[in-house]
Amino acid sequence: MNQTFNSCPNFTTRLETASALVHKAIDAVRQKNIPKRNLIWLELTGCSGNIISLLDGANPDFKSLASQMVNFIYDNSLMAAEGEAAMERLFGMTGGDYILAVEGAVSTKDNGLYNIIGRWKGQPVTAYETIKKFGEQASYVIAVGTCASDGGISAARPNPAECVGIQSLLDKKVIKLPGCPCHPDWFMGTLAYLMLFGEPELDSRQRPLMFYSTLIHDICPRRPYFDQGIFASKLGEKTCMFKLGCRGPVTRVDCPIRKWNDRVNWPIGDDSPCIGCAMFGFPDKMEPFISFDTT
Amino acid sequence: MNDHEIFINMINDNLNEMGDTIDCLYTTSNSCVKNKLLNRLRKNMSNIAMLTQGLRNGASMNNPQPSADRLFTAEELSRYNGKDGNPAYVAVNGIVYDVTNSAAWGGATHFGLTAGTDVTSQFASCHAGQPILSKLKVVGKMTG
Repeated sequence: MNQTFNSCPNFTTRLETASALVHKAIDAVRQKNIPKRNLIWLELTGCSGNIISLLDGANPDFKSLASQMVNFIYDNSLMAAEGEAAMERLFGMTGGDYILAVEGAVSTKDNGLYNIIGRWKGQPVTAYETIKKFGEQASYVIAVGTCASDGGISAARPNPAECVGIQSLLDKKVIKLPGCPCHPDWFMGTLAYLMLFGEPELDSRQRPLMFYSTLIHDICPRRPYFDQGIFASKLGEKTCMFKLGCRGPVTRVDCPIRKWNDRVNWPIGDDSPCIGCAMFGFPDKMEPFISFDTT
Repeated sequence: MNDHEIFINMINDNLNEMGDTIDCLYTTSNSCVKNKLLNRLRKNMSNIAMLTQGLRNGASMNNPQPSADRLFTAEELSRYNGKDGNPAYVAVNGIVYDVTNSAAWGGATHFGLTAGTDVTSQFASCHAGQPILSKLKVVGKMTG
C-alpha cells in the first residue's frame, strides 16, 4: 500500500508542506527577516502524548524547531529546570511576546482544583488559571491535539473534572490541531506558517486547511474496496473496514499521506479501522470503535 | 436554492472546469503536468457521475412523497439497525432512508447515533441546507 501513491503529485507535494514551511522559517530567522519567536508549551489536563509525538517528528524534526526556529521557553516535560525555577521561566514571560501551544483539556470543576501544573511563590497553580492568564496575552494560541481542541478524552463521559477545550475559556481565537496525538508535521507546519505569514486559512472549526481539508475516506488506499463493496468482516482483513465502523468517511485530516512514526504506517495500514481521533466529538461520538455483524 | 438547482450548478461548474483543463492540455508538453490535468478530468467525471446519480434520486425525493409506500412504526424502524442481516434505516422528517452503504454510517453508527432511529432533530442541527438526503434511497415513511 505504501507504494501506491508515490508518484502522485497530490501526495508528494503534501508530504513536503511542513518541511518546506519549517525550512523557510528557519532560513528567515537565520537571515533575521523574521524574529525568532518565543514558544510556550503548556501540558494541561491530558496524557502528554502530543509532546511525545512532537519529539517523534522527522523532517522537520524537533531539534530544528527548538534550536533554530523558536526559543523554546517552557515545557514541563522537556526543560532542564524544575520546581519554582521552571515556573519562573513561565511566569517570566508575563507581558512578553510569545506563541502559546497547549495540549490537554482544562479541568474547570472547583475552579480547576483537579489539575495543578506547578507551584509559584508557594501557591499551587491550576491549569485553569494558567490558560486564562497566558492564553489571552499570547500572540497566537494553538490547541495541540484533540483534548485541547475540543475536550477529547479528558472530557469524555462522565467527565468528572468537567474538562473543556481551551477555546471555551478564551476570547482569543484558538487554532485547533486535533488528533490523538497531533502529528508533528501539523504542529510544526502551522507554527512555521504563523511565523512567516500570520494566521493560515482555517475551516469552520478553526483547523488549518493545509492539513485538515480532505476526508480520510477520499484519499484512503482502501477506497477502491469501498467503491466495489468489498468489506472486511473482521480485523486483519486487507479490505475496506467500513462495516467494522471505520470513521475515515467522517474524519478530515491527511493521515493516509503523512502516516506516523517517521512515515512508516498508520492505523488503516495496519488493519485497524480509523477511530476518528482527529474529529470533534472524539471519543464519545466516535464509539463504538469496532462493530461486528454489520449488514 | 433547492437541491436540484444546487446539483445542476455543481454539474455546470465541473463542466466549465473540464473545458479549462482541456484547453490547458492542448498547450502543455510536460508529462507531469499532463498527468495532473488528466487526473483532474477523471475527478470531474467522477463528480458528475455522483451528481447525476443524486439528481436521479432527488427526482423522487425532493418532493415530500417518498418513492416507496411502505409505512414504518417506531418499533418497526428500530429493527433496521444494520445488524445481523438487517439493513440500516433512519427516519428524517417522517421519511425513512436506507443508510446501509452510506459511507458516513460506518458500522451502522454516525457520531453517536445508531441506525433504526428517528434522527430528525440531529439532522436539522448538523446538516440543515446540505444536499444529503437526496443522495439516499427512500424506503418508506413513518406512520402518524
